[in-house]
Amino acid sequence: MEATREIYWNVGHGVVWGMYLLAAIAFAFCAYGLWQRVLIWRQGRALVRHDQFSARLLTALRTIFSQSGVLRVTPVGIFHALFFWGFALLFIGTLLIMLQADFTAPLFDIVFLKGTFYQGFSLVLDLAGLTALLMLSGLTIRRFVVRPQGLPTIANDSINHLLLFTILLTGFLVEGLRIAATELVANPALSYYSPVGRVVALLFAGTPSATLLSLHKGLWWFHLLISLAFIALIPFGKLLHIFTTSANAFFVDRGEKGSLTLINLEDESLEEFGAGKVTDLTWKDLFDADACTTCLRCQDRCPAYNTDKPLSPMKVVQQIGEIAASDPQADLCAVVTSDVLWACTTCRACQEICPANIEHVNKILEMRRKLALMDGEFPGDEVRSSIANLEVNGNPFGLAYAGRGDWAEGLPVVQLGSGVEFDILYFVGCYASFDQRNRQIARAFVKICAAAGIRVGILGKEEKCCGEPARKLGNEYLYQMMAQENIELVKGYGVKQIVTTCPHCFNTLGRDYRDLGLDLPVEHYTTFVAGLLKDGKIRLTPEAFDFSYHDSCYIGRYQDIYKEPRAILAAAGGQITEMAKSGVESFCCGAGGGRIVAEEKIGRRINVERVQMASATGAPLLISNCPFCLTMFEDGIKTGGVEEVLQVRDLAEIVASRLVS
Amino acid sequence: MKILVCIKQVPDLESRFKANSAGVWFDETDLAWRMNEYDEYAVEQAVKLREQLGEGSELVVLSIGPDRVVEAMKKALAMGCDRGVHVQDSAAAVKDPAQIAATVVAYARDQHFDVIFTGMQSQDRGSAQVGVLVAAGLDIACATTLVGFSYSDGTITAKRELEGGLKGIVKLKTPALVTCQLGLNVPRYPTLPNIMKAKKKDIAALPIESLLSTPPLAATVSFHPPAKKGGGIVLEGEVGILVDQLLGILKEKTAVLR
Repeated sequence: MEATREIYWNVGHGVVWGMYLLAAIAFAFCAYGLWQRVLIWRQGRALVRHDQFSARLLTALRTIFSQSGVLRVTPVGIFHALFFWGFALLFIGTLLIMLQADFTAPLFDIVFLKGTFYQGFSLVLDLAGLTALLMLSGLTIRRFVVRPQGLPTIANDSINHLLLFTILLTGFLVEGLRIAATELVANPALSYYSPVGRVVALLFAGTPSATLLSLHKGLWWFHLLISLAFIALIPFGKLLHIFTTSANAFFVDRGEKGSLTLINLEDESLEEFGAGKVTDLTWKDLFDADACTTCLRCQDRCPAYNTDKPLSPMKVVQQIGEIAASDPQADLCAVVTSDVLWACTTCRACQEICPANIEHVNKILEMRRKLALMDGEFPGDEVRSSIANLEVNGNPFGLAYAGRGDWAEGLPVVQLGSGVEFDILYFVGCYASFDQRNRQIARAFVKICAAAGIRVGILGKEEKCCGEPARKLGNEYLYQMMAQENIELVKGYGVKQIVTTCPHCFNTLGRDYRDLGLDLPVEHYTTFVAGLLKDGKIRLTPEAFDFSYHDSCYIGRYQDIYKEPRAILAAAGGQITEMAKSGVESFCCGAGGGRIVAEEKIGRRINVERVQMASATGAPLLISNCPFCLTMFEDGIKTGGVEEVLQVRDLAEIVASRLVS
Repeated sequence: MKILVCIKQVPDLESRFKANSAGVWFDETDLAWRMNEYDEYAVEQAVKLREQLGEGSELVVLSIGPDRVVEAMKKALAMGCDRGVHVQDSAAAVKDPAQIAATVVAYARDQHFDVIFTGMQSQDRGSAQVGVLVAAGLDIACATTLVGFSYSDGTITAKRELEGGLKGIVKLKTPALVTCQLGLNVPRYPTLPNIMKAKKKDIAALPIESLLSTPPLAATVSFHPPAKKGGGIVLEGEVGILVDQLLGILKEKTAVLR
């Protein structure tokens, strides 16, 4: 007997019209709901996110079907992925049935759900359903029994879980009743290809056939209705993420990480700057709010949230969505609050982990722009002074700009403009120029270059702050003023390559300055030194030491440089003990986003938290690659009471101390 | 109602000062410039008053000096002044307070300002004379070192900082001049729209010769850093030798071991 089954068995092919009518209603309902959301998203400003169409589509399909985003966090990610794959297979199975029963069979007399293919089809779908059911149970237990701390659970979650359970269970019941009435009687061998359905069928063994038939008919309709209800309800709750989160994999920011829109300061028609209302944000920012499933991953990793500050990136995204839907003209920054906005260190931990491709950081920065440019607001008076210092002396300390090159006295560096040849421009940055501790980094870097025979040029007193802290504090005007002066200077000297020791300068010169017309290779010294080692231009004497390594945000998450620094330190004889939070999961030192010039007045100290993580490794040495981090850790070691057990060094200092001369 | 605020552009105090070749003032190389701190309080208070009075009032910012002072004026305009008057004088730095005050008086005499704001003193010269001399020259009321200011119906209520932490309250009928002290207010940070608007605001240029013809009353004779007093001695080397050296110095140059 051939392996197949009669589609619309017991309910009759006549149901097709009613079924499709109901489906049309469900889809219409769904479309209406989606349109309501579209209207909300369209309140945002324009933004092109459909360029590179095929590449976007490919990325999206890969992200969605591989479930790579959710799978970054286990075990819950595995539950979601398996549920997704199971449910997707069931959906495809349903489509195949539709294709045969309502299209190929009546029109062309083609029946493909038969024989071996049908056996496989039946088995795969049965197991997919079982998997989905088990995973859903796991997710339900996690959400409603285990209740991870901070995970917001709303009424809509209960409805969705119930809906999904009902669909899956009634599916198996309908299948089981059909098998009990047909395959168990006429073709028992086939029933083994529906293992779950067979078990259900066996439960009904002995039930009178008439009862089976009427039960089956009733449940078939119930299963249909509840499935259509599911479709109709998608836009009205968290199920919306099926569309939005998937679509966000397509709308993903394909630009370089950390790119910010450049405000055109020449445009005299501009009167509003930054995001004071949700309508000042882009449609993607509003769309993001609907793509957010409040999965908590961003909040779990936020250094501000984890040190008792009022910022939760998840909450900010949600608030934007709520305002966009309820009161688009509301004062956005007042709802989100200044304390929340100023707490962000722009560490990007939220954005990197987000399985929905939400862009948290730039939303916060757009709101900061509003605070800074429209209201003249600062996180504190100390920041007001630092900004004034930047304006007057080009450094946040307020020290005489004429002393910017003093650190290099007696060192083999070339002052640009002196006519002496040079190979690289070392853009020193404010901290390595002025701060006593950080000058060690600058000196170490020059020593390394000298050993490699590289002639280092500096701008000396002509160099100004790259503008990064000002920009991240929302002051785009000051940023562009300083950036333009630096760019003109660099262009005037015929520089061919720039190397920085500061990751903030690195990202700013290498990425942000490009928008302002500087197109030169810019490198951070970690990769530069790795290159010198590789090319044999410098050699190190390995000397054993134990250390933990801090991935600065702007070298790690922003630039994906993780391997080179570790390789250099290994070559120097170092034995690494990774901190619990390292690599892409590294925990910020607290200084990003312009926070380096701000006092940390709320909650616990982020830098203390981080040095304690370092000291927990047992390694006596913490190595960083950023002047801001070094400053924060030197301070954190003192205030955190780990002076006896932990020291911090910059990677350049380690390399310089082990150079083979 | 017409308001005038007088500002000076001064070198940032963190700059590296060197006497100029004439030896009567500092050399301007390597200096960073900013608005005199006390003048920032004056501008803020003037802008506040201008906002309080609203339509029909005008706030003029005046500065004397070379072209670079326009930068400081632009900031004042971005903070909320309506227009600027730049008295062009490349030698303003060596003019004495009497001359600067005479210049302001010459400009302001026919303008009938109701309230004039100045800083308490400049951060570089620190004479604290210009404000009071302008008031005297215009023969109007004057109160100095303000840490509080309010205006209503032609009367200024000024809170003055006195010696020893005391405060005094004085009332002045306009026209009047006040000089502003730290603590009066927190100067606003200019917003970007206001910076943009300031670019279009008028800054009238007046040559110094058109306003000033009097010689200085007090000429600067010499400008120099204080003479270095004997610095410390840093001993370096082996600890044993250091101890001997230290003992020797203590014996020879001090009385502690006698």
